[in-house]
Amino acid sequence: MNRRATSASALAPVLASVIALTAGAALAGCSTSSGNGPELKVSGAFMPQPVGDDMAAGFLTVRNSGGGADKLTSVTSDISDDITIHETNNQKMQEVNAFDVPADGELDLERGGSHIMFMKLKQKPKQGEKVAVELRFEKSGPIKVELPVKEPTYNPMKHEH
Amino acid sequence: MRKKTVLAAALVVAAGLTLSACSGGDDSGKGPVAEISAQANRPGTVLDQPYAKPNLVLTDTHGKKYDLRERTKGKPTLIYFGYTHCPDVCPLTMSNIAVARKQLPKADQDKLQVVFVTTDPERDTPAELAKWLPSAGDPSFTGLTGDFATIQAGARQMGIGIDPPKKEKDGSVVSMHGAQVIAFSPKTDRGYVLYGEDTTVDDYAKDLPKLVRGENP
Repeated sequence: MNRRATSASALAPVLASVIALTAGAALAGCSTSSGNGPELKVSGAFMPQPVGDDMAAGFLTVRNSGGGADKLTSVTSDISDDITIHETNNQKMQEVNAFDVPADGELDLERGGSHIMFMKLKQKPKQGEKVAVELRFEKSGPIKVELPVKEPTYNPMKHEH
Repeated sequence: MRKKTVLAAALVVAAGLTLSACSGGDDSGKGPVAEISAQANRPGTVLDQPYAKPNLVLTDTHGKKYDLRERTKGKPTLIYFGYTHCPDVCPLTMSNIAVARKQLPKADQDKLQVVFVTTDPERDTPAELAKWLPSAGDPSFTGLTGDFATIQAGARQMGIGIDPPKKEKDGSVVSMHGAQVIAFSPKTDRGYVLYGEDTTVDDYAKDLPKLVRGENP
């Protein structure tokens, strides 16, 4: 169902947020938890090997198991001094100031959707290497993550169906 | 129209998940769910009314005139609209097709034409495309650039809407890629199958042998 829904690509961002909202509502209604602050955990990070030597994208999931919402506000890395966060709407990339990491929810940066954008690369990452980044949040402390560099066609989301 | 149906169905699915998460097993969402999953294994959408091939005459990566209809006549052809300053979907689409193409017998590889038309012609010069396309996709792929209005009109003939690149206040440029790859039949020279951007290598690998023969996947 997921892959079918996302194939209407123009609607994918809308769908994703609708589904996220619905799921969020369900969790809030049913869960008996939890603390007040956000509790973040990053998983599934990767960078597809970039084509050129000037630009790359990074993807990951931030899971928030806490009871408070947070925001991803910036990303830094030794590999580039020009890193921004982008969402994709109607086949266009748009820079955003922050991504919500909802309480009892997650932020999914995945292929075809939102991503971390690395510009003016200092060196071109190659498959098999790892790119270290630091994620900064509005409330939580920074989190260091390594993005393994994968083949250009890598898309873990698609292996699940 | 199709998109609306998908959206509605997805909402039902989402609602279904919500219900079962809370109540432990309300099956009211069953009908639409079954309908969606029945289609889930078909990555391409075969069109009831195929598109005529657009009469695009542009410039290829060698700086030479390229007449799309003339050059791809009677050949299986995949057309995609994108731009090289695209970090994710454009290189992913080209790589997926390139990897799947290599699984075809050599003779079929030679028949298949893959055409990448830039939506950002100001930055994507023939030289720029010549540098990007072989590593994003394959050296055999054709890269085309030219006048934006011409490219936009050609895309529109196949139902693909492309906005011109827009310069932001900070100097960055927001470009746009097409949502679909369109497969043209060698038998009719018409665009008869659409592939969305989440089509995988395996999906293409499964369909390409049929597309090369002009059959429905």
